[in-house]
Amino acid sequence: MSSTGQHTVSGIAVDVDHNPYLAEGARTVDAIVTIAVPSDMAVDKPPQRLEAIVIDCSTSMLSPKDKFEEAKRATVAAVDEIVDGTLFTIIAGTEKAAAVYPPDGRPVQASEATRAAAAHAIDGLQPGGETAMGSWLAHVRRIAGRHPDALTHAILLTDGKDEHETAEELGEEIGLSEGEFTCDCRGVGTDWRVEELRAISSALLGTVDIIADPADLADDFAAMMRTSMGRSIPDLTLRLWTPVGARVAFVKQVAPTVEDLTHRRVDAGYQCGDYPLGPWGTEERDYHIQVDVEPAAAGREKLAARVHVVGGGETLGEGLVTARWTTDTARSARISRRVAHYTGQAEYAQAVQDGLAARRDGDVVTATAKLGRARKLAEESGNDEAVKRLDAVIEVDKHTGTARLRRDVAAADEMALDARSTRTARLRKEA
Amino acid sequence: MSYAEARCVQCGAPVVPADRFCEGCGTAVPRVRRVAVPARAVDGSAGPCADCGNQTYAEGYCTVCGHRRAQPDRDQTYLDGVALITDRGLEHARNEDAAAAGIVAGRMGERPQAIAVAVCDGVSTSAAADIAAVAASTAGVDAMLIALTEALDPRSAVLAGLADAAKAAAAAGSGRVDPSLSPSCTYAAAVVVPTAAGEVQIAIGNVGDSRVYWLPESPTSARCLTVDDSVAQALITAGVAADSQAVRAGAHTLTRWLGADAEPVPWSEASVHTITTAERGTLVVCTDGLWNYLPEPNDIAQFCAGTDATAAARALVDHAVRAGGEDNITVAVIPIGGSS
Repeated sequence: MSSTGQHTVSGIAVDVDHNPYLAEGARTVDAIVTIAVPSDMAVDKPPQRLEAIVIDCSTSMLSPKDKFEEAKRATVAAVDEIVDGTLFTIIAGTEKAAAVYPPDGRPVQASEATRAAAAHAIDGLQPGGETAMGSWLAHVRRIAGRHPDALTHAILLTDGKDEHETAEELGEEIGLSEGEFTCDCRGVGTDWRVEELRAISSALLGTVDIIADPADLADDFAAMMRTSMGRSIPDLTLRLWTPVGARVAFVKQVAPTVEDLTHRRVDAGYQCGDYPLGPWGTEERDYHIQVDVEPAAAGREKLAARVHVVGGGETLGEGLVTARWTTDTARSARISRRVAHYTGQAEYAQAVQDGLAARRDGDVVTATAKLGRARKLAEESGNDEAVKRLDAVIEVDKHTGTARLRRDVAAADEMALDARSTRTARLRKEA
Repeated sequence: MSYAEARCVQCGAPVVPADRFCEGCGTAVPRVRRVAVPARAVDGSAGPCADCGNQTYAEGYCTVCGHRRAQPDRDQTYLDGVALITDRGLEHARNEDAAAAGIVAGRMGERPQAIAVAVCDGVSTSAAADIAAVAASTAGVDAMLIALTEALDPRSAVLAGLADAAKAAAAAGSGRVDPSLSPSCTYAAAVVVPTAAGEVQIAIGNVGDSRVYWLPESPTSARCLTVDDSVAQALITAGVAADSQAVRAGAHTLTRWLGADAEPVPWSEASVHTITTAERGTLVVCTDGLWNYLPEPNDIAQFCAGTDATAAARALVDHAVRAGGEDNITVAVIPIGGSS
């Protein structure tokens, strides 16, 4: 039986779902921790926010011919969603970054007048140049650095792969930007690299997606900006206490997307580690925590982990992950439904990414095995969207169950499968 | 009866209920006294962690090695001859039972003492059931003691106890988002008041499947005074054979309980009974952790005949542990009649 214990400290609910029973000598404790910020969560002083939109202005944006027009329309649509008083700036990205609005590059407060002026400036943009996303990140980072009290969020749009700088240079800029601002990335068309944008969005706690048809850009940009405007809670931190002798095997966000946070740990005093979660709106996210603990004798109970959600130096929520050792194998053998579900979802994301990488390398055997496995996992978890995306890349014989790579795969389908591999089907707690 | 365990709160000298002041130091002896098991662990007073020697705990867990603070497997106490024992048993990781007993001492030569006892069994499918059991048993006994000092009759005292126990169990679950996880527990209580005519009035009340047994010295009339609020009992009342599969399957499914998710008044007038007896004997209040192994009143009576309350309570709990100890075991033994 899964156990559920809910704690509510000052507004943020932390819910722990796991099977606390372990067989004698077992040391692995798995738990799904749901963190929920309620709609009435009081924020003493909403933080100043800063929005930066980086629009790719490389020469390739000129073809097909509606691409750049749609990109400009999308940028204006996002600007229209910026709430009055929010600082914002528009940046043109090529081999370097250049201020579009305001022309001096200093963010201004959103108002009817500044939004209209920004729209005018965006309309006058002319593409010309190459693509060096590292320089775009550096530009946003400098602006964020001048506004240390503001919560900075960027939207980055590109249509091509990173050039004019080495992969190491881009990686270095990503590392320097971590924790300085958050960034949602979008690729338009099919000439950009999913892994490049995913490296940025993953490190900068944002999302990544493909917009194959430029006509869909505007709706997506407006939605992204609305979500960002809803994030009025500044950075939250997951603080994990574990007993002496324990080892944190991993901490992963598993919903709405899979994101491994294990390596983001920052020591926070005796037996504690901090994992930054980024800014929050009224939302719920699920985390899978696995801890390796020293076993205790049958009949004993131990605290395997204490989860604190910290914001502004205060503990806002708490959850306890307990472990009880038992000789009753019927109890210890059970696996929490949600632990099983999210373990499958994380494996799915990895199988898709590994399978597509093998496919690009011409390793048909590995690609077929990995993508076939991914399809099975997607099917088992009832993730119909994922099954549909996989069916564009592999063919599974209904009778024999044998998987085969498709010959002609649309680039957009392959990239969508890759970019959306970390999106999970949410499994809620049973009532 | 032996009063040896009652001591002055100030100097520790032995006192008897008839004493209004301590013979040793002159401190007033309270007329009303109450004891409870399990003794509540106080964070500071528990001593170092048995596993790592660390001195601090948070929410009952050692802040260094994470072990849950070891609870003694058994906790027992005595109050003027009434024996209370609660035991974790063998299978459950923690004890979610609780019991309390109180007395109202008689004034010199005036009213004789009255006894109030309550036993609760935390429902293990609810969260923090032990909190509900402790809260309900102590609140129930406190309310019964107040009623008894106000000279209310035993039946009214039992009803007052039920009302306060229900409130306390419901409050133990306050602040929880999901009411289906609310701490909940059973409740069985007894009040004993000797009458001027030399008889004893016993009033009992229960919610759930904890029981009160009346075991007079003549073994033929040993009987269970309570009726379980369980699916099994409902089937038996409806005419289903007691040894049928359906009854066995529903033996421990409660139809009534105390807690935030319970009915507002989860008992009826029929839940309270009163008997008057001139016989000597023993009253046993217990949780199902005991009666699972000793279902017949005569089985329990055998352990109580010819011995004192303390020895009887120990023998009963030891028997349940030896028989398997599948549940927490709690017993209150109250000698009736023949007081010295």
